[in-house]
Amino acid sequence: MVQHIDNPVVELHNVTVAYQQKPVLWNIDYTLPEGNLIGIIGPNGSGKTTMIKAMMGLLPLSSGYTKIFGKDLDDVRSRVSYVPQRGSVDWDFPANVLDVVLMGRSKPKNIFKRLTSQDRAIALECLRKVKMENFVKRQISQLSGGQQQRVFLARALAQEADLYLMDEPFVGVDMATEQAIIDLLKEMREKGKTILVVHHDLQTVKDYFDWVVLLNTRLVASGKTEDVFQSELLNETYGGKLNILSQVSNLLKAKGHPVREK
Amino acid sequence: MQQLIEFFSFTNPNIRWVVLGVVLIGASSAVIGTFAYLRKRALVGDAVSHAILPGICLAFLFSGVKNPLVLLLGATFTGGLSLLAIDYITQQSKIKSDAAIALVLSVFYGVGILLLTAIQNSGNAEQSGLDKFLFGKAAALVFEDVVVFGGFSVVLLGVVWAFFPAFRLISFDMDFARSAGYPVRFLSFLLALLTVVAVAIGMQAVGVVLMSALLITPAAAARYWTHHLRMMLIISAGLGAFSGIMGAFISYTMPQMPTGPWIVAVLSLLAILSVLFGSKKGVLARYFQQKRNQSKILQENILKCFYHLGEFDNSLSASRSILDLQKKRYMPDNQLLKGIKKLLAQGLIQKNGQAYQLTDHGIREGARITKIHRLWEIFLTKHLHLADDHVHEDAEAIEHLITPELEKELEAHLNYPDTDPHQSPIPY
Repeated sequence: MVQHIDNPVVELHNVTVAYQQKPVLWNIDYTLPEGNLIGIIGPNGSGKTTMIKAMMGLLPLSSGYTKIFGKDLDDVRSRVSYVPQRGSVDWDFPANVLDVVLMGRSKPKNIFKRLTSQDRAIALECLRKVKMENFVKRQISQLSGGQQQRVFLARALAQEADLYLMDEPFVGVDMATEQAIIDLLKEMREKGKTILVVHHDLQTVKDYFDWVVLLNTRLVASGKTEDVFQSELLNETYGGKLNILSQVSNLLKAKGHPVREK
Repeated sequence: MQQLIEFFSFTNPNIRWVVLGVVLIGASSAVIGTFAYLRKRALVGDAVSHAILPGICLAFLFSGVKNPLVLLLGATFTGGLSLLAIDYITQQSKIKSDAAIALVLSVFYGVGILLLTAIQNSGNAEQSGLDKFLFGKAAALVFEDVVVFGGFSVVLLGVVWAFFPAFRLISFDMDFARSAGYPVRFLSFLLALLTVVAVAIGMQAVGVVLMSALLITPAAAARYWTHHLRMMLIISAGLGAFSGIMGAFISYTMPQMPTGPWIVAVLSLLAILSVLFGSKKGVLARYFQQKRNQSKILQENILKCFYHLGEFDNSLSASRSILDLQKKRYMPDNQLLKGIKKLLAQGLIQKNGQAYQLTDHGIREGARITKIHRLWEIFLTKHLHLADDHVHEDAEAIEHLITPELEKELEAHLNYPDTDPHQSPIPY
């Protein structure tokens, strides 16, 4: 069940993504509404992270296209913010909390530009929003998992975007931090921001999200939480991969066959 | 002494050029190497340095002269080619990057040796000295060399300075940089190119085999002294430059000694010292940290001993002999006395004849540790579902660790209970 909307903030059109010719996402096709808190739900290995990365242009598409605010990503990058998984970087890197948040302030438009005191003020304000103002000078290797996650969040806030894509922001985070983060996300939504969150804790889905995307290498459903988050669709999402689809994936890889004819 | 003054007064122009050369080369290799180190590409520098040899030979074969600029061009060409080869192999085949690096390194180096041998046997008189690239020729740097290599070093440092924010970003979080629209491919290429150039000029000082030491060792050592990237770059450059000077000095005082290997020897020594004595996570720093922990545990255990005895006979400030304390909790004489001395110095206990008693401050400390111990026991039984008789050992250790902030949180979380799982009262 896929609910489509007009003037979507995100549109995926027949997107297929393959690793070494083996598709891990099949023909994803959906539209997402603006000003919503959107959960991307699915089991391990269902392609949630792959989909986010593909939307951010970090992985090549084997087919289809994505539109953000109705445009190509490159035209609207400054309005989009990406929060990678916490485990994707080496936290032993020589930097402190403020250094990392300030990375959200430097713009690729002028690569040589040094940061101003206004950038610092914004970064500090973002740290206050995630309640990390007492850790400004703390070396990042000395942070707990929840604190690292909040630093990433502050860096994203510092980008002052309109669309946020967050990959598993609640993994390894204590309950108090999770609540603080979700409160912040809801506050952002009230200001008209759109937030996509890769999430895997089914218990909290109804409380957190207005809109849900159910994924298991293929799109199972996309729509309002109350319409989509129901047992039949969840069974389909978590009921294992479609055997035939997996076999075709493996064949594509084994034969080196193209996903599209040209 | 005479030599020391002669060397460091830099009156001899030869010394001046050699020192300037090795300082610039050492510092620039170290700065570029810091980024390679942080991007976990330490081995790539080794591959590049070996891959440069065939480039130098080819440049000589085509030009017939030993012009440093021409040789540098050849070196950069094959060095860059080796990087492309490594990338291509890892992307297009099942071979992982470590194997790809090993492959490229050995193939390029093999071709290089082949060409070098052919040139040496060709009877070309110009060729003598080309083999210096294998082991470096720092002591023989002359004005023209320094102009070329030093010039490139300055350019390298300038480029790093200009691109510093971008380089830092891609070294820390490549995906984020790409998502924000940074030209990550170009920046990576630029860093790779800088690495090749740094290796090509660094090789003049230390040769093919030792080049990766000049690149990576300063960074590895610097990491033990700081948590800040800017500082790390400065320390790293300083170590590289200092090693260069020392290497040059040693081979000046002992002319039979080669400069390059001594540069690397000094650098290695500095790295070992950094690992041992580095202020951030050095072996010695960790040792002292553990010593401090042990000392804190001992002192707090003694205080707790006083406090428990006081709880038992309802007089917290009563005097206790060494034997009283040891009966409550056995601690070897020498340790106990050491701990008591420290507690006396902090005014937590005072001497009373042959015995000791808690001061007011000491009573508060004793109560605090006892409280944390008992709160932690409650926490374990409540949230880790441990049996009452399983929690004491754990609390013995954790009581010394809990910070004042955590203490407050723990109190509030458990809602200020009156007694612990063994019905002992909790002092607030």
